Amino acid sequence: MSEQASGRPPAIVLDSVSKAFGSHVVLDEVSLTVRHESIMVMLGPSGTGKSVLLRCLVGLLRPDKGRVLVFGEDVARLDPERPRDREELFRIRRRFGMLFQDGALFDDMTVGENVAFPMRMHTSKSEAEIRASVDDKLRRVGLPKAASKFPSELSGGMRKRVAFARAIALEPDIVLCDEPSSGLDPVMSATLDELILELHRTLGMTFVVISHDTAEARKIADTIGLLAKGKLVTYGPTEQVLRSNHPALRQFFERSTDGPIQVL
Amino acid sequence: MSFFWFVRHALVAQFTRVPPLDQFVRHMVDAGVGSIGLLTLLIFFAGLSLAVQGYAAFVRFGGQEFLGLFCGIGGIRELYPVMAAVICGARIGANLAASLANMQISEQVEALEVMGIDPMNYLVAPRLWAVSLAMPLLCAYADVVGLAASYLAAVHQLGVNPGNFMAQLRGIVGWEDLAAGVFKGVAFGWLVAIVACYHGYRSAKRDGAEGVGIATNRAIVHSAVLCIVLNMILSAILYV
Ligand SMILES: Nc1ncnc2c1ncn2[C@@H]1O[C@H](COP(=O)(O)OP(=O)(O)O)[C@@H](O)[C@H]1O
Ligand SMILES: [Mg+2]
Repeated sequence: MSEQASGRPPAIVLDSVSKAFGSHVVLDEVSLTVRHESIMVMLGPSGTGKSVLLRCLVGLLRPDKGRVLVFGEDVARLDPERPRDREELFRIRRRFGMLFQDGALFDDMTVGENVAFPMRMHTSKSEAEIRASVDDKLRRVGLPKAASKFPSELSGGMRKRVAFARAIALEPDIVLCDEPSSGLDPVMSATLDELILELHRTLGMTFVVISHDTAEARKIADTIGLLAKGKLVTYGPTEQVLRSNHPALRQFFERSTDGPIQVL
Repeated sequence: MSFFWFVRHALVAQFTRVPPLDQFVRHMVDAGVGSIGLLTLLIFFAGLSLAVQGYAAFVRFGGQEFLGLFCGIGGIRELYPVMAAVICGARIGANLAASLANMQISEQVEALEVMGIDPMNYLVAPRLWAVSLAMPLLCAYADVVGLAASYLAAVHQLGVNPGNFMAQLRGIVGWEDLAAGVFKGVAFGWLVAIVACYHGYRSAKRDGAEGVGIATNRAIVHSAVLCIVLNMILSAILYV
């Protein structure tokens, strides 16, 4: 069934989005579509603008050019410094949950309070319901006993899992994950992949996942993209991308130093 | 982000909705209770000096009986509010700027934004309320400590008649002097908070730990300078 037939706009559409900092072009005419209830994994070497791309999706950065449509509404048009646009932006953002690359946990709150925070701010759930939901989320990310600890007492990988629990706290329509698996051991990383798949299956959440990990992409993605030097090198359904012979993609999957992606 | 944009939005955030109470209480306690020790110590010494200096000047023409008046007016209207603003302002401003800058460089402010929570409402407004209410209370407290110190020095060290000192305080120094000093406290408190929040808030991730230091430093220096300038303007207005 096509998106048109179901009457629902795609979750996210980027239409030739460009972003530069000074003369440094970070995103160069990136266009892509993320279907509703799909899992898109964006691969790419570090420093190519993957985090910048995510920030453009939620309006933390404004692209210099192009449109960013979230369920049909253009986020790039909204200027966060204008009060009316700001309200609009905050409304659209409530459809997102976001896992930041370094977690971005509130360090004056405990782990439990961090996960409870979005529920306290945006729902009228009772304290008991919130506590039950927090315990459930923390159990799912493998940290059932961490609720009363402070973020500074956790390892980087643990913080990331707490941040993931916080990102899914409100069961948002779209979850953006900036490198969820980096800093996690392989078993934990696989557990998180299972969790993403389960949330996708049971609650129909749409995921945009940034990753270096080709195994993770193979396992969870139904769409894979590769971003290199600000350009979207390839983008499409997982089977198609895995079969393609694009040199940058092959290099990435084969962990090879020779190919179009050059670091030295 | 310009300072004026920030001030305008902070004012809107401050006056259009009720600030989150837990944040308000926490910062009120941080700013108020946390400043008492330092303030007591420094104002006590200032009160002593004020009496000693006043005495040294007045005794030259035999006017030492006016010491109560001088310590009352000079302290309550002028010295103690400014000292409270500069001393507590440095402490409070440094805390606010450092904590907000730290939240910026670790992306906590952006995390709030993505949750659909306006940091202006959630972070800035309660801090503005807390410091604008804590500072006048600190000024009033400083008045008490300072006057007590002046009284001690005047009566026990300089031999001024105690009844006379108190009579001048009660008779000539009025509620309007106290109100003037406390009103200055509100203005200084708001100024300290807005300057500190601005410098903290405009730090960004790429500034790193160094950015926290820079924001803190600017918050302290700018708020001290602005408070002293504002004090002069307010004194001029309040005396007319
Ligand atoms: N706010 C900013 N100001 C200036 N340059 C930035 C900013 N944010 C990111 N960059 C630059 O954009 C490039 C891409 O960054 P990023 O998206 O974080 O990379 P990654 O793909 O590793 O997530 C980097 O070279 C970085 O220096
Ligand atoms: Mg990144």
